[in-house]
Amino acid sequence: MKVRMVLLAAGVCVLAAAPLLLSDGLVNAAISMLIAALFACAYNLLCGQAGMLSFGHSAYFGVGAFATIHAMNAVDGAGLLPTPLMPLAGALGGLLFGFAAGWFSTQRTGAYFAMITLAIAELLHAIAPQLKGVFGGEAGISSMRMPAWGWDFGSTTEVYYLTLAWVLASLAGLYLLTRTPLGRLALGIRENSHRLRFLGYEVHRVSVLIFALSGMFSGIAGSLQVLSNESANYVMFDTSLSAAVVLNTYIGGVHAFLGPALGAALVTFFGYAVSDLTQSWLLYQGVLFVLVIMFMPTGLAGLLDLACGSARRYGARAVAPAAGLYVLAGGAYAAALVFLTELLQRLFSQDYRSLAQAAGAGHWPPVRMFGHDWTPLGTWTWVAPAALIVAGWLCWRAATAVVRRLQEAAPAMPAGAAGMASPGRTA
Amino acid sequence: MEQLATPLLNGVIYGLLLFMVSAGLTLIFGMMGILNFAHASFYMLGAYFAYALQDVFGFWPAIIVSPLLVGVVGILVERYILRRVHRFGHAHELLITFGLSFIIVELVKLFFGNYPVNYRVPASLDFAAFTMGSLDYPAYRLFMGIVAIGMFVAIYLLLSRTRVGIVVRSAIHRPKMAEALGHNVPRVFMGVFGVGAAMAGLAGAVAGAFYTTSPNMALELGVLVFVVVVIGGLGSLEGAMLASLLIGIVTSVAVGIDASLADFMALFGAGDLAREIGGILVLKVSSLAASLPFALMLLVLLVRPSGLMGDKE
Amino acid sequence: MSAAILSLADVHKSFGPVEIIRGVSLTVGANERHAIIGPNGAGKSTLFHLISGQLRPSAGGIFLADEPIAGHSPQAVNRLGLARSFQITNIFPRLSVFENIRLAVMRSHGLQYCFWQWVDRNRRVREQSEALLESVRLGHRAGAVAGELSYSEQRSLEIAMTLASDPRIILLDEPMAGMSREETQYTTALIREVTQGRALLIVEHDMEVVFSLSERVSVLVYGRIIASGTPGEIRGNAQVREAYLGEEATA
Repeated sequence: MKVRMVLLAAGVCVLAAAPLLLSDGLVNAAISMLIAALFACAYNLLCGQAGMLSFGHSAYFGVGAFATIHAMNAVDGAGLLPTPLMPLAGALGGLLFGFAAGWFSTQRTGAYFAMITLAIAELLHAIAPQLKGVFGGEAGISSMRMPAWGWDFGSTTEVYYLTLAWVLASLAGLYLLTRTPLGRLALGIRENSHRLRFLGYEVHRVSVLIFALSGMFSGIAGSLQVLSNESANYVMFDTSLSAAVVLNTYIGGVHAFLGPALGAALVTFFGYAVSDLTQSWLLYQGVLFVLVIMFMPTGLAGLLDLACGSARRYGARAVAPAAGLYVLAGGAYAAALVFLTELLQRLFSQDYRSLAQAAGAGHWPPVRMFGHDWTPLGTWTWVAPAALIVAGWLCWRAATAVVRRLQEAAPAMPAGAAGMASPGRTA
Repeated sequence: MEQLATPLLNGVIYGLLLFMVSAGLTLIFGMMGILNFAHASFYMLGAYFAYALQDVFGFWPAIIVSPLLVGVVGILVERYILRRVHRFGHAHELLITFGLSFIIVELVKLFFGNYPVNYRVPASLDFAAFTMGSLDYPAYRLFMGIVAIGMFVAIYLLLSRTRVGIVVRSAIHRPKMAEALGHNVPRVFMGVFGVGAAMAGLAGAVAGAFYTTSPNMALELGVLVFVVVVIGGLGSLEGAMLASLLIGIVTSVAVGIDASLADFMALFGAGDLAREIGGILVLKVSSLAASLPFALMLLVLLVRPSGLMGDKE
Repeated sequence: MSAAILSLADVHKSFGPVEIIRGVSLTVGANERHAIIGPNGAGKSTLFHLISGQLRPSAGGIFLADEPIAGHSPQAVNRLGLARSFQITNIFPRLSVFENIRLAVMRSHGLQYCFWQWVDRNRRVREQSEALLESVRLGHRAGAVAGELSYSEQRSLEIAMTLASDPRIILLDEPMAGMSREETQYTTALIREVTQGRALLIVEHDMEVVFSLSERVSVLVYGRIIASGTPGEIRGNAQVREAYLGEEATA
């Protein structure tokens, strides 16, 4: 418990120090990471905790965004609220729309619920460009941050601290929510909403409340986005945003409170770092997501948990080689996948096809990738990924062997059996 | 009257197209309890496979082979991916099909580019079937309708008249019992999944030539298919047909209405008031056409949450 | 004779063309322990579903102390003072045992929509939860994951959750199924104790439990009550013997 508090405090300190250490561009990336992390945790309230899989959560993010932009433009541009309090507009927008949408959606569960949430987001996406007054049509609406409370909010650093403050406060609120009766009830809804009815709960109404709260925090995230970008556009209602939050949340891990935040931060960071280098970033995200769902449903947070648990049981030194081998294996497989994908992407691209046609039948011009020229029919072009796959497979086998040896040497003991030797202890 | 005939016909055909895709989805859900998010991606794959094969084999072989290929993809997905995730529960199955839909779209973008491709109606079908008023009615639209009706009849006969059909229907209603009677229910599931995918693939192969074939087509149709299935009731083929036709007709007819709700209210003397309020009321119905299916869905949810023909659950 | 807390008036229930409950009339007094016995498939669980609000009767009335409850939602029926347990254990499998009980307890403290106080700080909820767990001998398992309990421990948890709302009448659906002799005896004593001042409607197959626990017994066969009376009367009833206990049964 203490370790966690220390880690948490350290994390907050690092986040607070970021603008002093990073360039403006990276600080902007950090702002995006924070917003994504909050959105993912807001989403997880509904999805991981209450078990209601929403596939249209961008709606509440977007409504919060537009509520904020209008609040910023109100009173002739002076703003309805001082800038540091603007996210309250987003919170209100997300809350109200969350109530309305939640009332419809939570009439049903499971697959129906998923479809309804998707359709509500699509409805907004279809209507928004038509309602130019509210959503600004194709171009969207823009605004400006107004100075308040002694700051002018012109610099990225100030926006960063504003975002950080709100994200930390919201995450704290979300965490505290899990310790309230409503938060515990959310888990009950996930586990067995049928039984809750027989215990006297109005499950529909409770679900609507949870949905609305999730919408509220999503609205805050949307609001922060608008404060950062000083504009809002109906593309915020796009399914890609809804899909992104689902992917981020599950990649991070839905059962740990900060799992979604972790997933969102990592994926956003990678997206920022890598999206200039490759056109297939979304494909990699999708593959990672599917792999997580199939093989590691507890996500990256769960993986960390597993690693720490193994380290505690067998000792860090014993586990380190296995962990290292697994990481190497993963890296090799990932490298092979990236290599093949990038190769295929270039081979099938419009530019290459014209080049190939110009070169004539049977001639395949070389492909430029990772700073080298690769001939499509050349040996290395196919040996390289094959070798990576084989290397990955070997590392994986070695890692599994190490783990098996560890398990045989120290047979797994049930948790809490540590005191078995001491007399007078009842089972 | 003739002004209504064209949109009505268009609407019916579009509805039949929607049905081709939603039939598979609703069958798969009814039987396996899985909402296949990737179903509309099968539709898209059908179009792209047909486009790719058309240069090699010609149009007619392409639209026969393409659904078969999509069916194979469906079978592989069920056998190697869905089955693995089955033990984690429905939520995970939903997420996996969601992830798959994502990956399939990205793979299509990888191989075919992130823009529409030139999949066109073949010359042999590119003529006017008849003339309505001043407009020529494209024969290809009728072709799409005929394919859809043919598919519906084939599936109906298959399910109601053949032995395979009886096994499939029993597996839909009572999978455990069917298994206890010795039928290979996992194989039935695999087959239904494959056939459902093939149906969506056929729809794509046929429709892709007429409508745009682009990586976006999966999402655009996908959401509508979900709306159809919510309105019609999950698991009900009749509901899917009814809802598809309803949505097809309403959307097609609405696209032609250049008036707005305010104009309608003017009939009651409330026109100026409506225009004052503005917003949705002054929008032309034609611009709202795309959002009408969703509004219909919300209405159905208010009035009859289990869908027009769904089971009360 | 205490007034009836639960009465069924000619209740029918059909599923399509199949009629499962064919006219059941029953009354349970306010402090009465009433058992329902009958062969498998007689409709006992269906009857419980009808009373507790999971199903709506096709015809007939169900009254909780003169308040009609037929077709009401399960939560409405529960709030009026009726709680039921389930034949197939119906708990929150991935939550701890303590959490399971606490969820059951929270509602009667009015904490349904509360998101402004920490539930751990609520002393009354905690004390009531701990007391309930102790009463079913699960206190030492409070931290265990509910899904990992043994079958009979889960049945005990099921009973504890049913008691949490302090109901006027409790419906128990085969609570002893799967329990050992000793566990059954303990649970029978427990039920007798906690149903002081309450009504009990219990479905059971274990005849010893039925005859030792209940004051009145009704026999449900093919959707009809063929006999209703004290355990002694039922034991001696020839129709019952034939329909249910079989020719070999000895008193």
